Amino acid sequence: MTFNRDSIVALCLIMTSGGLMVASFDIREPDYGVLSPAAWPRLIIIIMGVLGVLYFIQSLRMPKANISAEPPKSLVEFIAYWRNVFSVFIIFAAYLLALPFLGMLIGNIAFSFILLSALGGWRPFVMHVLVAIGTSGGMWLLFTYALEVFLPRGSLTGF
Amino acid sequence: MEIFVPAFLNIVDPATLIFMTVGVGAGLLAGSIPGFTIAMAIVLTLPFTFSMPPSQGLATMISVLVGGLSGGLMSGILTGIPGTPSSVATTFDGFPMARNGEPGLALGIGVWSSFCGGIISAVLLVLFAPQLAAVGLEFQPWDFFMLVMFALTVTSSLAGSHLIKGLIAGAAGLLIRTVGEDDAVGVGRFDFGSDYLLTGFDFIAVLIGLFAFSQLLSDLRNPETARKALSDQKQIRVKIEHRRAIAILIKNWFVVIRSALIGMFTGILPGAGGSIANILSYDQAKKAAKNDSNFGKGDPRGIIAPEASNNAVEGGALTPLMALGIPGDITAAIMLGALLMHDIVPGPTFISDEPVLASSIYIAFFLANFIMIGMQSGVLRIFVLVTRIKTYVLATGILTFATIGVFALHNSAEDIWTLFFFGILGFFMRQYGFPLAPMILGVVLGDIAELNLARALAIDADPMLFITRPWSLFFTIIALFSIIFPIYQKQRGTGSMLEKLYSPMMLLALGTPLFMMGGILRTSLAIAAVTIGAYLVWRRSAKQKPTQKNS
Repeated sequence: MTFNRDSIVALCLIMTSGGLMVASFDIREPDYGVLSPAAWPRLIIIIMGVLGVLYFIQSLRMPKANISAEPPKSLVEFIAYWRNVFSVFIIFAAYLLALPFLGMLIGNIAFSFILLSALGGWRPFVMHVLVAIGTSGGMWLLFTYALEVFLPRGSLTGF
Repeated sequence: MEIFVPAFLNIVDPATLIFMTVGVGAGLLAGSIPGFTIAMAIVLTLPFTFSMPPSQGLATMISVLVGGLSGGLMSGILTGIPGTPSSVATTFDGFPMARNGEPGLALGIGVWSSFCGGIISAVLLVLFAPQLAAVGLEFQPWDFFMLVMFALTVTSSLAGSHLIKGLIAGAAGLLIRTVGEDDAVGVGRFDFGSDYLLTGFDFIAVLIGLFAFSQLLSDLRNPETARKALSDQKQIRVKIEHRRAIAILIKNWFVVIRSALIGMFTGILPGAGGSIANILSYDQAKKAAKNDSNFGKGDPRGIIAPEASNNAVEGGALTPLMALGIPGDITAAIMLGALLMHDIVPGPTFISDEPVLASSIYIAFFLANFIMIGMQSGVLRIFVLVTRIKTYVLATGILTFATIGVFALHNSAEDIWTLFFFGILGFFMRQYGFPLAPMILGVVLGDIAELNLARALAIDADPMLFITRPWSLFFTIIALFSIIFPIYQKQRGTGSMLEKLYSPMMLLALGTPLFMMGGILRTSLAIAAVTIGAYLVWRRSAKQKPTQKNS
């Protein structure tokens, strides 16, 4: 029996199911309707909880070769392994937070340029600037004028 | 004619034809680039189709689909890297043929096999979908509920050794759909006081996040490969040899038809798509060949079989979608999403209630195959250019596009947050070996399952009806056997009891609901199932006895 990453995921799943079951008791029960609004979610949560327990047992009995690939052990290796993924997470979250201020056009150009530079390095600077302006500007034009979608303007930029 | 003419006019409308041509081109490109899947291309098309009339939107999506199914062969034949999982087997003989100095012939055979597979499946779709819909009219809410459960368990069972993870993903998909206001009584669920959660997750943003965003993250995970282009080749001068390819296809017409039928049948099964069909039909072509020594070295039959079958899959997947409202694979699930987006709920009455739209789908499916043939040569040149773009540049462009597309759905920045959250969830699910297909089916079918559960209980509160009605019992039996299937598959060749009894027991069990349905045909089928099942039990036990005596 080995406690591994799958066991942790299974435990998280069981705890989430427990939490959601508790939350399901906050669902208001109206006086009308045949099926209570909480009944269907509760049924799914119970199934998920049972599956979570089975997954946990299975993970403990799992041969080492079948365990989901272990991440690098040292901190440096860990950062190198996940660098690109975390870069996308952080830059995307920052973009979403800045969207009301920068607007879709400027926000997307900035997002594309920063992401390109974070993933591909700062050296092809001009190429990244051109790609960012070309792709984001092109899509902005396409959606605004061809598809007539009103894309949000930034409170700081006005675009 | 009353139905066909307006449907035809809908599709040959200049704007629709332009969208279809662009769709086929985009699909061909998406299918040809390894790492960018057909499902991703279709899901990214959804926001565009939002403002279109339903027939135009669906025709565009079908075009992307047909293009995507055919695009995988370009990369597979020219670079040896399959563009999509559904063209893996194409590389077995396509790449060797190209290396032997005949890339034009290999591409020609692939393109025309794809075309034939697509056309055969389109014909079968037109023939079978109304028949299946007629059967579907017998379904009551109990049966529909069990049909959804069956679709989820079959899709989960295809996760093989990860069955539990597949089932968890399916359940999670159903649960995601419950967040927000309940459709029946308008009560908020799991909103935790947040307006964002009270409106529920937009399921298209969820699909794009789960599929496209998470796929891009997976492609970018490795910094080294993210900075590389797919190919360093500056130029690929290839002229597709159409005449020779057609002559070879005519000579091997039986392989074309058999492979298309395998693809069609695989497509009808929920969850089983082109990735299974192409390997299955390649295997069948090899087994059936009198001389298989040339397979793996550039045998034309090794290209015909996988390409005809993977294009036929979609006709199969669209059949249960149009007839019953149950998608046969992820791409059909996304199409279901597109229909729901336009307030059209497919079901057994869909073909009779929306005959023009249904006919438009058939016509678009036919036409898209012709557009695909015409566009292959042109897209081949663009493909060579695209393969020289570095992965991170391509991924950034697609991510930007996805972001604007999701916003355009409801002019809401909250949908972009949904895209982000589900992109992260999808990425970690991929990392931990959770299949995404059951989750996507769960998200798409969640409302249908709950609605039918509520309807069934409103008619009769007896829960036993979910397993005692003939069709419900039928789906319950298949669902149970599909759950056991991965264990059975593991034990194949070991001579275990499960291996011996799995198929006969399933046949014997299915005989019961078929008997209950009544009628000459179904009773005959029931008798046949029980007879074959009993014969298999007898034969396998007879085989076992001499072995026991010897030992």
